Amino acid sequence: MKRKGLIKILVCICLVLALATPFTIGCGPAMTYEIGISQLLTHPALDATREGIIDGLAEKGYVEGDNLEIDYQNSELDMSLVATIAQQFVSDKVDVIVCIATPNSLAAASAAEGTEIPVVFSAITNPVGEGMVSGWDSHPDQNITGVSDMISVADDVDLIVEIVPGVETIGNIYNAGESNSVFLAEKLIEACDALGIEVVESTVSTSADVLAAAQSLVGRVDVIWVGTDNTVVSGLEALIGVCEDNQIPFFPSDDPSIERGGIACWGFDYYDIGYQTGEMVARMLDGDGTAYDIPVEKGKIIFLSVNVAAAEKMGVTIPQSIIDQAEKVYEE
Amino acid sequence: MSEQQSLLQLKGITKIFSRGTVDEVTALDNINVDVNSEDFITIIGSNGAGKTTLLNIVAGVYPPERGGKIIINGNDITNLSEYKHARYVGRVYQDPHIGTATKMTVEENLAIAIMRGKTRGLRAATNRQRRELSRSVLAPLGLGLENRLNALVGTLSGGQRQALALVMATMSKPAILLLDEHIATLDPKTAQIVLELSETIVTQEKMTTLMVTHNMELALRYGNRLIMMHEGRVVVDMNQEQKANLTVNDLVIAFERASGKKFDDDSILLHHN
Amino acid sequence: MDFFTSLMSTSVYEGLVYGFVAIGVYFTFRVLSFPDLTVDGSFPLGGAVAAILIINGANPWLATLAALAAGVCAGLGTALLNTKLRINALLAGILMMVALYSINLMIMGRSNIPLLREVTIFDHVAQALGMRADINLSIIVMVVFSAVTLFVLNWFLHSEIGLALRATGDNEQMVRGLGTDTNMTTILGVSISNGLVALSGALVAQNQGFTDVGMGIGMIVMGLASVIIGEGIFRPRKITTILLAVVGGTFAYRLFIGIALRLGLPPTNLKLITAVLVIVALAIPYIRKKIRHEWVPPAVRM
Repeated sequence: MKRKGLIKILVCICLVLALATPFTIGCGPAMTYEIGISQLLTHPALDATREGIIDGLAEKGYVEGDNLEIDYQNSELDMSLVATIAQQFVSDKVDVIVCIATPNSLAAASAAEGTEIPVVFSAITNPVGEGMVSGWDSHPDQNITGVSDMISVADDVDLIVEIVPGVETIGNIYNAGESNSVFLAEKLIEACDALGIEVVESTVSTSADVLAAAQSLVGRVDVIWVGTDNTVVSGLEALIGVCEDNQIPFFPSDDPSIERGGIACWGFDYYDIGYQTGEMVARMLDGDGTAYDIPVEKGKIIFLSVNVAAAEKMGVTIPQSIIDQAEKVYEE
Repeated sequence: MSEQQSLLQLKGITKIFSRGTVDEVTALDNINVDVNSEDFITIIGSNGAGKTTLLNIVAGVYPPERGGKIIINGNDITNLSEYKHARYVGRVYQDPHIGTATKMTVEENLAIAIMRGKTRGLRAATNRQRRELSRSVLAPLGLGLENRLNALVGTLSGGQRQALALVMATMSKPAILLLDEHIATLDPKTAQIVLELSETIVTQEKMTTLMVTHNMELALRYGNRLIMMHEGRVVVDMNQEQKANLTVNDLVIAFERASGKKFDDDSILLHHN
Repeated sequence: MDFFTSLMSTSVYEGLVYGFVAIGVYFTFRVLSFPDLTVDGSFPLGGAVAAILIINGANPWLATLAALAAGVCAGLGTALLNTKLRINALLAGILMMVALYSINLMIMGRSNIPLLREVTIFDHVAQALGMRADINLSIIVMVVFSAVTLFVLNWFLHSEIGLALRATGDNEQMVRGLGTDTNMTTILGVSISNGLVALSGALVAQNQGFTDVGMGIGMIVMGLASVIIGEGIFRPRKITTILLAVVGGTFAYRLFIGIALRLGLPPTNLKLITAVLVIVALAIPYIRKKIRHEWVPPAVRM
């Protein structure tokens, strides 16, 4: 009987707290906007995106604590929480729901259907393919828009050809469970086919598999490329190790990965993507456009980053002309 | 004695465990026993004699070595699985926990026993008819169980549970009843009650019974036939007349004569009180 | 009061829809004494089957039914591994769960299928009732689903077959000795359980607007936590009240999560707390026995 009583007390305390909470939120100056930010998991790129969003909003006059309340929720990859969070935002009648990554964007779009709450996504590679919006530029029936982090795989391949001339086979490691990665893998094959380069793929399901996948490509590929795959990026060091040991040039697709030991890429800074998203949300709050008519944007700021030391460890030299073009040059 | 076919025929039953290893043991060695209808056979023997193994073979827990045969009422059930043996065999175990389902009620336990051998359908398992049947079956026990149909079996005492197990095993009138030291874990008073209950039911239903016991005196007092086993073989098989006036001592001598070995299992002798 | 209502409605809906998972887990863990981990795979299986059928134009009700059937098959697989190949129950469930990850990906063709633009059973009901497809509608749909399912299950568990099932989990040897094919009852029980879990997956997918291959991760823990909380709070004794208590436990668990989210508790801590909760509740019977010196080590390490 003790256990029963204890749990009852616990539940009661929680309920009291729940009732008390409303009085701490939502009390502020008259025109305070409320934004719900739903993030899929803690991850450097996603965290940077979020910071960008908040700063982008601040730049346009929407400052947290002043005229803006932000309810930030992170589901840590728990799918049931993804739906709960979306539902919570809708029930709270926030002004805008901002989502970082795909599943939570879909959940928010579903929960907000029939309401007038707009959904703005950030860092989704292929929103049209994901079924988020019906078209990049025009989606008049959907109160959804956002900023995509689609990279240009073709640009990456061109970069590879410049740095490693004569490349015949490119390896790709990705998690088939991440739809963005599957999309990018197809784009890679497209770009390589055009240049007569063969692609060899190796899929993983967790970051622990990355080492084995990398080793399986040794001797079969000239170069390894990796897209913006969350799983592989988590296990990047293992991959870099194999590439250094076997002198296989490694080309990831985002700047933090270059810093960690990849050779070169055209990339986004996720902070910039977030910033762009924040600006978009600010426009909507200004009344200057709604999610119905604002077209989906792609990340505007691309830059080249190179890592000279990494190139050396993997047995290639980056042509000076490329280094000169680079915005970020890592020496170690 | 009529010359009808035996109820249960065990032919050439051998059972070897851990074959091919260091622990290999021949638990049963070419047992040939014919059990006649309405026999009440008490089976005794020292530890490791093979008594429980024999019961397990009859119950179908595991099959005998190839060549052995188990025939009940003319049906060869040697290679059938355990639950198919259940059509012919009722069993009460030594541990009161094994014979009943402790998380279910008395009524539900009996319902399962009632359903033995019949296909289970989607009808409600307990209905008024079955409840009446349960009460009528429990009342004669004199343990008050007929008033506790909705009690969880886990709340019953060991003796009550064994009594219930006994009723469940005999309810659907199996061809043969196996009692596997079923009073061994009960206190003397309760053991006596359950034992007398067993005898009553066996006599009333004219049930063919094999009772394994550690107690030589009981073995002599009850039943119409006594089998003593040693190291997987039957060394003594006495009928009613032969065992009528024996004492435990006589039994020991008979054993030694038959097996050619000195009887050295004190625990059995100590039980004679 | 707005926060309170929204918290309550979300928790009620989630309690009902995830309640199926809890009931499925209760069925295997408690009734059958079969520790079944297939759940983490059969939940997304339900979502996958329903989604792939819906986006290919199937009637959502039929798609949901198909999802249930798929779950039954998954449970069948696990049970066959255990009864016919004598693979330990826990292992059988894990193997099936692992296999299902690939199978789900194959069914879906991708890791994530959006259902935003599709017509789901929730949309059908919304139309029929002239309501918007919001949380209140979801609750209405789930109340009906749950009521029907609980009623059927309760009746089933009191039937002859149901009794045999319950007895199998209680004392398998006795049940065999009384003429029941315990292989069949195990197969039946595990199949039904996973059918329910897959049904839940299909409903969740349709309601949340997408199905994801990773949707099932942690479902077994959620189910266990719900069952244990339900047993702890309501202390049910009979089968009927137990079923209700399990759903109630799911509601309480989701409520707890909802509150934690509002208080800003990071979800990563949430998983740890859930695990601790389940550990404590599972250890209590053992600790209680130890204190009373009633503990008897089992013959086989469990």
